[in-house]
Amino acid sequence: MSDEQNESAASATDGAVPLLSVRNLERIYRLGEQTIHALQPLTMDIHEGDFIAIAGPSGSGKSTLLQLLGLVDSPTAGEVRVRDRSAQHLGREQRAALRLGTLGFVFQAFNLLQMLTARQNVEIAMALAGTPRRKRRKRAESLLASVGLAKRLEHRPLQLSGGERQRVAIARAMANEPDVILADEPTGNLDSQTGREIVKLLEDLNRAGQTIVMVTHNLEVAKRASRLFLMHDGGIREVDPGDPRALD
Amino acid sequence: MPQRVAVLSRYSGVITIYIILAPLDLAVYGGKLRAVLTLAIQQLLTKKLRSGLTVLGFGVCVNLYIVVTTVMRFITEDLDLQVQRFTGVLFVQSRGLTGLSGIEWPPISSTISMSEANAVLSDPAVDQQRSTMVSFAALAPPPYPTAPPEALLVGIESGKEDVFLNGAAAIAGVSRFSAQHADSEAPPAVLGVLAARHFARIASSTTEVPSPVGPIALAAVGSTISVRGTEFEVQGIIEPETNQLLRSAVLVPLEHAQSALQTPESVTALLVSPKRASDIDPLQATIESEHEELMVVSDRQLAENARQLLDRVNQLFDVVRWTSVSVAALLIAIVMFVSVLERTRELGTLRAIGAPRRSLLSLILSESAGFAVAGSMVGVPMSRVVIRKALGPDAAGLRSREIEWGAAGILSLCSMIAALMPAWRAVQVDPIIALRYE
Repeated sequence: MSDEQNESAASATDGAVPLLSVRNLERIYRLGEQTIHALQPLTMDIHEGDFIAIAGPSGSGKSTLLQLLGLVDSPTAGEVRVRDRSAQHLGREQRAALRLGTLGFVFQAFNLLQMLTARQNVEIAMALAGTPRRKRRKRAESLLASVGLAKRLEHRPLQLSGGERQRVAIARAMANEPDVILADEPTGNLDSQTGREIVKLLEDLNRAGQTIVMVTHNLEVAKRASRLFLMHDGGIREVDPGDPRALD
Repeated sequence: MPQRVAVLSRYSGVITIYIILAPLDLAVYGGKLRAVLTLAIQQLLTKKLRSGLTVLGFGVCVNLYIVVTTVMRFITEDLDLQVQRFTGVLFVQSRGLTGLSGIEWPPISSTISMSEANAVLSDPAVDQQRSTMVSFAALAPPPYPTAPPEALLVGIESGKEDVFLNGAAAIAGVSRFSAQHADSEAPPAVLGVLAARHFARIASSTTEVPSPVGPIALAAVGSTISVRGTEFEVQGIIEPETNQLLRSAVLVPLEHAQSALQTPESVTALLVSPKRASDIDPLQATIESEHEELMVVSDRQLAENARQLLDRVNQLFDVVRWTSVSVAALLIAIVMFVSVLERTRELGTLRAIGAPRRSLLSLILSESAGFAVAGSMVGVPMSRVVIRKALGPDAAGLRSREIEWGAAGILSLCSMIAALMPAWRAVQVDPIIALRYE
C-alpha cells in the first residue's frame, strides 16, 4: 500500500484524536517454510462517530485487521493505538481490560452463552466490568428494549431467532458503553431481510453517536457505511461508498 | 497414619471452608462474584445428567472414604479397649500351629490340659482370685475381619467372671452367675449384646431394645438358649459400651462350657494375674520356662500384636481410602476437562469481550467446588445409611462429624487441585477462537 493510499485511509477529521488508529500495521503468519502476508503495512484512523465498513473477499485480510483492531491478536509490525495510547506493549490482561471498557464485539455466529438468558448475556459484560447488579440489570433491560427485545428478556439463545440473537449480541456489545463496536460479518448468518434489519440497527446506533467498524464480504451491506475500505490480498484502500464505480 | 488422619480431620473444617471460599475469593477479588457464580450454576444446571452423575460419583467416593475411615476408627478403638481391659493380665495359650506363627486372639484353637492349667495357676506368684481357666469357642463367624466371632462361648470359673468382665455391668439381669443357678435346671449364661441378638432367633423368649438402627430383638433375661446341644438360662445382658469381645461373649460356667464342647479335660486359655503388678514379667518367664508347650502373652505383647494386626488392616483400608480420593479427583478433572473443551468458543468469547483470566479460573474452580459441595451433601448421608446397614447396632456412637468433615474436606481439596489443570487450560483459551467462524 502506498503512502498516498495510507494517507487517504487516515481520518478526514483533522485535529481530533482518533478513537482507534493503526500505524504501519502488518501481520505475517508463518506456516513452516511458508510465509503469508495476511496484512500489508497499513495506516488508518477511526474517529468518533465513524461507521466504517471493511469489505473484501475471503482471505483478503479483513478478519485479521479486525482481530488486530480488537486487540485479540498482535501485529508483526506497526502498532494499534487506542485514544492515542499505544497498545503495543500491553500484556494480555491489560488488553483484556482495554477490550472490556473500550471495545464491543459483535460476532458472525452471535457467540451468546447458551445457558444464559438474553438479559444475563447482556449483563455478563457489565458484571465483568464490575457494574453494580441493580444498575446493570436496568441497563440490560434498557439496551434490549432499544434493540426491540423488551419482551424477550428471559429467553435463552436457543429460543430466539437468528436476528434476535444478533440483536442480543449488539446489546451486549453496547453494554459497557464502548468507544467502538467491532462487528465481524454481523449479517453473515442471517437471511437478507434480517440482515438488512441488523444493518439498520447499526445505522441507528451510529446516528446516535456510536462508532462502528464492520467487516463484511457483502458490498450491499458495506455501502451503507459512512466510510468504506476495500481489502484485497492484505492491502487496503478507502473508497467513497456512494461511488458505484469504486465498487466495481 | 491414624495420627495423620486425626490431624487432617482436626483442620478439615478450616480446609473445607478455604476450598469453598477460594474460588469465591478469586471472584470477589475481581469484583465479579455474582457473574461467575451465575455462569457456574447455570452451567451445572444446563448439563443436568452430567452434573447429576458427577455429584453422585463424588458422593459415592465421599461415602466410601467416610465408611472406611469410620470402620478403621471403630476397629482401632475396639482393639485398644480389648487390650486395655486385660491390662496387668497374662494370657496363657498353647503353642499350637497358630501359636507358632503368632498370637491367636481370642485363643480358640489352643488346648491346655487341666493338669497343666492347675500347675500354672498353683504358682505362688499367681493371684488365685484374679486368675482363671477359660474355654473359648466360636459359635458364629466374625462380622468383619479382626473382629471376634459374633457369638463367642467363654467358659469361665464361677465367681471369677470379673477377671474377664473387668467391671462391665449388666443392662438387664446380672453380669455374674447367679448363686441360685445350681438349683435351676439350665446352667446360667450372661450374654453380650451381639450374642444376645445372635441367639434371639432361637431363644425361648425375646425382648426388644432401642438402638440407633431401630428396635432390635435380644434373647430375653430368663429365656433359654441352646449352645452345642446344651440348654443355658440367660441371666443377664452385658452393657454394650465395652468392646467387641465382650459384646460377643456368651459367658457360662467353665464346667458347662467344657461339657458343651466335649472337652472336660482341657481348657483353651488361662487368664493369669500376678499377686503384685511388678511380678508380671518374672511370672511370665517362670511359666514359659516351666511349661514349654505354653505361650504366655503379656498385655504389652497383646497390644503390639493388635498394633501389627491393625497396621495390616489399615494398609488395605488406606488403599481403599486413597483410591476413593483419586477417583473423586480424576472424576472432577475429567468432567471439567470435557467441559472446558466443549466450551472453548464460550471461553474464547468471554476472553474476547474482556473477561480477565482470573474470572475464567474462578468459573472453572467454582463449578468444581459446586460438584464437591453437592457431592459431599450426597455422600455424607449416604455414609450414615451404609454404616448403619453394615455395622447394625455397633453403629451406635460411630457417626463422627470430624470424619465426615474430614472426608468432605480432603476429597474436595484433592478435587480442586485436580481441577486446576482444566482451569489452567481454560485461561489459556485464545480470544481469537471467538472470532473464527466454521
